Amino acid sequence: MTIVAEKVTKTFRDVVALSEVSFSIGPGVTALLGPNGAGKSTMLRILCGLTPASEGSVEILGRDPRRDPGLFRSVGLVPQQEALFDPLTGLQFVLVGAELQGLADPGAAARRAVELVELDVTDRRPVRAYSKGMRQRIKVAHALVHDPEVVLLDEPLEGLDPRQRLRMIDLFRRLGDEGRTVLVSSHVLDEVEKFGSRVLVIAQGRLAAEGDFRAIRELMDDRPHRLRLGTDRPRELAAGLLAGGVVVGAWVTNAESITVDTVDVAAFRRALARVARERSARLREVVPLDDDLDSVFRYLVARR
Amino acid sequence: MMARTVYRLSLRLLVTRGRLAALVAVGAVAILLGGVVRAGGADVDKGKAVYDVLDAYCLGVLAPIVALVFASAALGDPAEDGTLVYLWLKPVARWQIVVGALAASLTVALPLVVVPSVVAAEASGVGHGVVGAAAAAGTLSVLAYTTIFLGLGLKVKRALVWGLAYVLIWEGAVARTGRGAARLAVHVYARSVLARMADRPEPKLAIAPFTSVFVPLVVAALAVVLAIWLLTRAEVA
Amino acid sequence: MTEARIHDAGYRRYTGVRLGPSQAIRSLTRHTAQRVMGLRRPARYKALPFLVVLIAYLPAAVFVGLAAFLPHQLRGQLPKVSDYYGFVTAAIVLFVAFVAPESMCPDRKYRTLSLYLAAPLDRLSYLRAKAQAVVAILALVTVGPPVLMLIGLSLQNAGPKHPSDLAIVVVRILASGTMLAVFYTSISMAVASLTDRRAFAAAFTLILVAGSVTVAGTLVYALGATHSLVVLNLSRVPFEMSQRIFGTYDNDLRGVPTVVIVLGTVGWFALGCAVTWWRYRRLQVTR
Repeated sequence: MTIVAEKVTKTFRDVVALSEVSFSIGPGVTALLGPNGAGKSTMLRILCGLTPASEGSVEILGRDPRRDPGLFRSVGLVPQQEALFDPLTGLQFVLVGAELQGLADPGAAARRAVELVELDVTDRRPVRAYSKGMRQRIKVAHALVHDPEVVLLDEPLEGLDPRQRLRMIDLFRRLGDEGRTVLVSSHVLDEVEKFGSRVLVIAQGRLAAEGDFRAIRELMDDRPHRLRLGTDRPRELAAGLLAGGVVVGAWVTNAESITVDTVDVAAFRRALARVARERSARLREVVPLDDDLDSVFRYLVARR
Repeated sequence: MMARTVYRLSLRLLVTRGRLAALVAVGAVAILLGGVVRAGGADVDKGKAVYDVLDAYCLGVLAPIVALVFASAALGDPAEDGTLVYLWLKPVARWQIVVGALAASLTVALPLVVVPSVVAAEASGVGHGVVGAAAAAGTLSVLAYTTIFLGLGLKVKRALVWGLAYVLIWEGAVARTGRGAARLAVHVYARSVLARMADRPEPKLAIAPFTSVFVPLVVAALAVVLAIWLLTRAEVA
Repeated sequence: MTEARIHDAGYRRYTGVRLGPSQAIRSLTRHTAQRVMGLRRPARYKALPFLVVLIAYLPAAVFVGLAAFLPHQLRGQLPKVSDYYGFVTAAIVLFVAFVAPESMCPDRKYRTLSLYLAAPLDRLSYLRAKAQAVVAILALVTVGPPVLMLIGLSLQNAGPKHPSDLAIVVVRILASGTMLAVFYTSISMAVASLTDRRAFAAAFTLILVAGSVTVAGTLVYALGATHSLVVLNLSRVPFEMSQRIFGTYDNDLRGVPTVVIVLGTVGWFALGCAVTWWRYRRLQVTR
């Protein structure tokens, strides 16, 4: 595994920011999710060695990021804070990164990285004149200039317009497909779903869940699954499903659909077609309403 | 070497038009005063007059403030605004970061202090002894202040204000009260060098010749080691 | 119809009394003073201001303590209230270098000035509020310590003998302390208005004050110029003005007419105000 965290705890005086968080991540894209103040940024900072863990250990590629600066030849970070080296142009800012990485041809690497994030290498404006989205993209360029094996990104989509976000998501997916280990912290859940399905969910300093978010949803058997059924006979279908005992709740939302809650999705699926036939109801659609990342996230966080 | 990149970057970040213009103007005041001394009447002890300008203004005000402004900002500004992360997350030994930042601070601070001091001494028409004294004392003073304030910028928020407190309260008042306190003031060492080389009477609380050079150099070296240690253990934003 | 009540209708417009610009000025003054002294902020923001204030009060405490222990005939050797500032000049100057930048620079650096000007404040009333805050804070070290010393000495029967003398001393302390606070407020606000960075404003305030000492001293000594050039010395002219308020003078400056000291004090004050206003009048507040 590329990144290993073992019982990481971080305290700031009386505040426990992280409590015994353990996980391991390999190649591909993993999303780090959590509400504000959950400890995501703290976790990323510990992974990069920017701050030491109070207890526990982290390793990237088998090395300690706090004690081994040589490790950073293989690691790139897009930090959350906005501040950059203001007097420099975007290209100069990335070039500094390339030089400090000891690259053989830092100029060419810097130009490639700037073009990768669709910024203009000939732009002579200093970065202090950049928009928020441009600052975000130049940070990504700085993090990728040395072709790192491990990429850590703290809220990289902030400030980007929808088109730029899609492009950035594509980039992250490509990096993951190339076999790099990419860990992205984000609040934009519907877009995080597009990176891939692996998540680490942190809430109140603890690791709430990890793995494929759909599989996590399946494991949450204390939460009924909610589905919307499109039909021409909503009342009849609802009555049939309730009588059959395959749903725990059903309500007619309008003349053409009902919403149901069920604790056993498999049994529900088996019974649905039979009940619809018995009640002469035509089924137009069956849509899971809480199978998405947003719902999983809310359920996990709300449990506390 | 990576230190060179850090040096160039720090230089670029430290030198702004406003800062430079203001500090050049401040240095120009010293040169003006040197001219004023030269223009003084025959009854004026010009040696004493220029010595007072060099001691009170160049060593007492110009050197510590210029060194403080640049040295505390060299690592302190990146630490405070979070841009230190872009230096930290690089395969660069921490000592190279410190040395690069220090070299940049000295590159800016030394000319801004030593040049006006030397020109003021020359402008006074007193003689080459004073010119050499101004250069030596100014260099020693800037070196000591710069290395001390470099680490301060890493450890303390508002490093510049605390540095000013040291200059005003400690060096300006407390260190004048006794020999013990005087030994903890950079100005006292620099003043001893100035007085000796300019052939002036030994000031009160003077430091012995070898000690007045050796101790600031040792303190400067220790301060660099301390800055490296602080950077290695820093909590980066 | 059944009875009904709404207990919480959610967002509603404010229909109460609006207190107007004078309240806005008072609020900004209070908020600025709290911020500068580190009140309602973490302890590290209190360290420097409280340390300086402590240093400024220390001599007063010492002198009062000495008055308690010295025999009556030796009490006359104690410094007079009018001499107090000579013991705490460094602390006052450090405080001056710290307070105005702390009160003014962050508003420009973090672009909150536009928020203030969106309230019933214009640039002049904004500056007035800031000036009031800076004067009030500086008065902590220019008025407070001599008052403490006077009270302490009076309680030890080492102060003025008659109530009328006491009243005169009190008036003089208030006048000189306020004059010092106002004088240094104008100088430090002028420097703080020239840069967004607190640290540089503090450094340049110190250079200006400390540098003026050398400039004035060299001109007087090297050129044999008139001692009236003391008006160029930002560290001396206000304290000499304070001495004159007490009806005394520094021996060096015996020959300098009081009107020259007054003109010098007022001149610097006016220059500081002019620079500050010039800067803020032209300032672009929003992008």
